Amino acid sequence: MSLIEGRAVCRYFGGVNALANVNFAIEKGSIVGLIGPNGAGKTTLFNVMAGTIKPTTGRILFHGEDVTDQPAYRICRKGIARTFQIPRPFGTMTCLENVVVGIINNLNGPYVKSDVEDKARIALKFVGLGDLIATEARNLNVVQKKKLEIARALATGPEILLLDEVLGGLNTQEIGEAIEFIRLLRDKQNITIFWIEHIMGAIMQAAERVIVLDQGTVLMEGTPREVVSDQRVIRAYLGE
Amino acid sequence: MSQTKKICCVAALAIVLLSLLPWSLGVYKLHVMIVCFFYVMMAASWNLIAGYTGQVSFGHAAFAGIGAYASALLSLKAGVSPWIGVILGTLIAAVLGFCLGVICLKMGGIYLSLTTLGFSAIIQIVIINEYEITRGTMGLQVPGFFAEYSKLSYYYLLLIGALITLAVVYAAIHSRLGVNFRAVQNDERAAASLGVNVVRVRVLAFTISSALAGFAGGLYGHYLLLITPEIPSLDQQFLVLSMTVIGGMGSFAGPIIGAFSLEILSEYIRVYGEYHVLVFGLVALVAARFAPRGIVGIAQDIGMVKRLRRLMAPAVRGRA
Repeated sequence: MSLIEGRAVCRYFGGVNALANVNFAIEKGSIVGLIGPNGAGKTTLFNVMAGTIKPTTGRILFHGEDVTDQPAYRICRKGIARTFQIPRPFGTMTCLENVVVGIINNLNGPYVKSDVEDKARIALKFVGLGDLIATEARNLNVVQKKKLEIARALATGPEILLLDEVLGGLNTQEIGEAIEFIRLLRDKQNITIFWIEHIMGAIMQAAERVIVLDQGTVLMEGTPREVVSDQRVIRAYLGE
Repeated sequence: MSQTKKICCVAALAIVLLSLLPWSLGVYKLHVMIVCFFYVMMAASWNLIAGYTGQVSFGHAAFAGIGAYASALLSLKAGVSPWIGVILGTLIAAVLGFCLGVICLKMGGIYLSLTTLGFSAIIQIVIINEYEITRGTMGLQVPGFFAEYSKLSYYYLLLIGALITLAVVYAAIHSRLGVNFRAVQNDERAAASLGVNVVRVRVLAFTISSALAGFAGGLYGHYLLLITPEIPSLDQQFLVLSMTVIGGMGSFAGPIIGAFSLEILSEYIRVYGEYHVLVFGLVALVAARFAPRGIVGIAQDIGMVKRLRRLMAPAVRGRA
């Protein structure tokens, strides 16, 4: 059984078919890229998977269980975490408090404040924000905000992490580090990664499989090598 | 840790001062202080929803009215002791707050404000028109807490009431729930994506806040001995709003400072009639635009400037 599966997922916004009959399956422990031209429906698919919006028709299965009608907070508690393409930090709260939100709403045991804060500090150090623990999130730069997004999402203890364009704004060296970091998440913490990215080089390096969306449908699916050499994909990106 | 200690010291000092103060006050000033305590309770509990979860409710005075009338009617018609009446009034306000919360908190934003505004109007109209039960605008005579009426006893009672309210608010905002309050206020969608049950958090905040308003109203009613539809009026609501906004919304000290300063100020300008509410409303509007963190925010900014100057001073001297 796949970790997460989408069956005939459709989402209409008025007359626009943001998603039209999307089928996909992601295996546990894999790193899967999601690419496609602007407006292909990538972020909409993430929103549907995370319960932020509901699909018009179709189902999302997590561990084989239908989670389509669950509210976003419950989907998070089940183990699906996401980041937002445009970071949405809690601006008036410190980095530590931002991460604490993720932890305290996903506790299995009793709430011990000092434990929670220790855990949050570790999460912040892990993404490289160890020096900014007491900084209010609105004072961070874009790259730091993206790191905070990841730290928060990881703090919820996910099985699968939906990353929405986390590399934007990074330089070449930082991209290399980020790829290492994402691999580490999978290898050491056994977190499955589903990853929207425009930087093809990064996807080529890190992802094992790639799903290509175009105009709300799955154009093709395969290894990164297969995808970049596929005529349909090239056409979708570059036009006729 | 030092921060917590500092807060404890300030709180202890304030409590000692406030418990010694009445011995030097006359009857009139005692009354003003008691009213101040009532408004501290109202503003602090309104701040819990408006300042910490971002839900601007206009029904807060209505809940105070519910608490006051519930407790009053229970002691008048059912012979319940005012002490128990206040507790029951608080519970009734909590239940109604919960119900209203469930109905309208899914809407959020401006719709919540409109719905609570409507609720507030309904409560007041019902109280005015159900003459046989509430005696309408004539006012309802209510028994007091003490066999022998003494302002001093009420002073301490309301002081304790205010302390209880502040303790509840403090506990709420410094607990897990408080972190969720602020997360919801900042960004509902992001909060939900991290596992926060947004609707539950909001309803909880609304219920706690309504209960505290009912508590304040109950105590105040049994102090006034005559309650009128003035308590659940929109005038009252906007006064509480002004106090919170001018004092500093979203800060713990803000509503306390706002309640004391505006209530004492309005005693001085009482001669000009009810216009002071209008003026406070305007000042609150200006504050919301230009100093959104109120008096507390301004004080913090001044403190920051001073600290910066102190830091800069040696450097400047060194250069000279």
